[in-house]
Amino acid sequence: MLRDITIGQYYASESVIHRLDPRVKVVATFVYIISLFCFDQLSGYIIAALFFGCMVKLSKVPFKFITRGIKPIIFMLIFTAALNLLWTSGEHILIKAGFITITVEGVKKMVFMALRLIFLIIGSSLMTLTTTPNQLTDAIESLFKPLNKVKVPVHEIAMMMSIALRFIPILVEETDKIMKAQMARGADFESGNIIQRVKNMVPIFIPLFVSAARRASDLALAMDARCYHGGEGRTKMKPLKYKKPDIIAYLVMFGYICIIITAGKFLPI
Amino acid sequence: MSIKLQDVNYIYGIGTGQEIHALKNINLEINNGEFIGLAGHTGSGKSTLVQLLNGLMRASSGVIYYNGQNIYDKLYNMHSLRSKVGLVFQYPEHQLFETTVINDVQFGPKNLGLPQLEMELRSFQALKMVGIGDELLDVSPFTLSGGQKRRVAIAGILAMQPEVLVLDEPVAGLDPAGRDEILGLLKKLHSENNITIILVSHSMDDIAKYVNRMLVMNKGEIVLDGNPAKVFQFEKELERIGLGIPQAVKVCHQLREAGAYITGEPITAEDCAEAIYQWLKV
Repeated sequence: MLRDITIGQYYASESVIHRLDPRVKVVATFVYIISLFCFDQLSGYIIAALFFGCMVKLSKVPFKFITRGIKPIIFMLIFTAALNLLWTSGEHILIKAGFITITVEGVKKMVFMALRLIFLIIGSSLMTLTTTPNQLTDAIESLFKPLNKVKVPVHEIAMMMSIALRFIPILVEETDKIMKAQMARGADFESGNIIQRVKNMVPIFIPLFVSAARRASDLALAMDARCYHGGEGRTKMKPLKYKKPDIIAYLVMFGYICIIITAGKFLPI
Repeated sequence: MSIKLQDVNYIYGIGTGQEIHALKNINLEINNGEFIGLAGHTGSGKSTLVQLLNGLMRASSGVIYYNGQNIYDKLYNMHSLRSKVGLVFQYPEHQLFETTVINDVQFGPKNLGLPQLEMELRSFQALKMVGIGDELLDVSPFTLSGGQKRRVAIAGILAMQPEVLVLDEPVAGLDPAGRDEILGLLKKLHSENNITIILVSHSMDDIAKYVNRMLVMNKGEIVLDGNPAKVFQFEKELERIGLGIPQAVKVCHQLREAGAYITGEPITAEDCAEAIYQWLKV
């Protein structure tokens, strides 16, 4: 049942990409996404695809895990593609039927827009597949540290994120348990109209909220007992440190963005 | 009237590559009117087994018969099975949700579709059985003490008047007084109302005193089955799987090994004391 839900989508493996500093992966993903908007011709897409293919190969993540990320956005993808197809005006008209006009430019734009969206999604998928949620929060904390200067509580936000992530599996398990307990008392969650179904959820939600509040207060107490006082002067057990492969990764990214920009400027198609 | 399990297997996480074989070829017959203690180390499959009994989880393979009927049959009414086999989960007080104690207890009977009067009658009876006084009927269950909450939660199952009552670690986290109270209640239910009871616990001391049949599980298999006196003979095996036997029985066994003449197979601390007294007197 609910137990089967996995949070995040980390795919455990031993690869160069997995071992990279999470900050590198966050920055690289960001750069990759920006790079997707630096060109508007076929050669750019080929370069982006080749580069991404190499990264996937290096990460040892099976390809079907990567494409899985597209599934939830398939509707949006079709919608955007359709919009681009129908609303792009151009000179070379392919089909004209009533108010529908399809142009060559429209087809081109549709294909490119869809490709761009797909690259965007699978690009960030690769990051979440190779980085644990905790590493991600660490990276975000470290990358946003400069914002401390303008009084943004970066550490606290990161701490809240990691606590939230930590609690998701616990609460999922708890929900599963409460659901079963109420089913053992004859509760039925599967039949009835929508209002009835929502009403039937009350015996799950109240115990769940009660337990979440209890756990939160226990955790707060435990943190207090360990003299937790926020980020100031706090050191890490596993501080993030750039190593040689991380530097190389940054250089590779720099090289990639240079190639993409030059290609965008000088290659005709 | 019985529950019968035939070649039941349960595997967690089929198809994820991290399969856990929680139950392996379980064959078991539970007869009407038995008071069964189900013991086993953490992760031995106890909780999985009890959730199969009322159809909350479906066995990966194998068949379960309740009163001779296959519960996996398409026409079988799973809803009615859940009212006949009452399952009290670990820490049942975490499932309370209503505004008042009496409303919470009525949740089960209400789901059975009983008439109002019957529903109330059963709830009052159940609360009385677990020793919750009339003055607590209209208070919020969240204001009660831990032991009281647990008794209210058990009453919620009892109000459905199950034929078989399964309790998963019902005394975990209770003080000795609360523990004796709940176990005493189970004994009373068994002897007076003739309910079949299955008590899951990893405390041999708790089980020994009350049950008349013991099942010991280890790594998804039932390794020992018999009355407590018989099961406690296998002291070495029980210790190997991390359970051990009640302290008092252990003393008797060691005295006997040292050459003392102890008659019978005492199980409870009182019986053991009596047996040792008899030996000393001679």
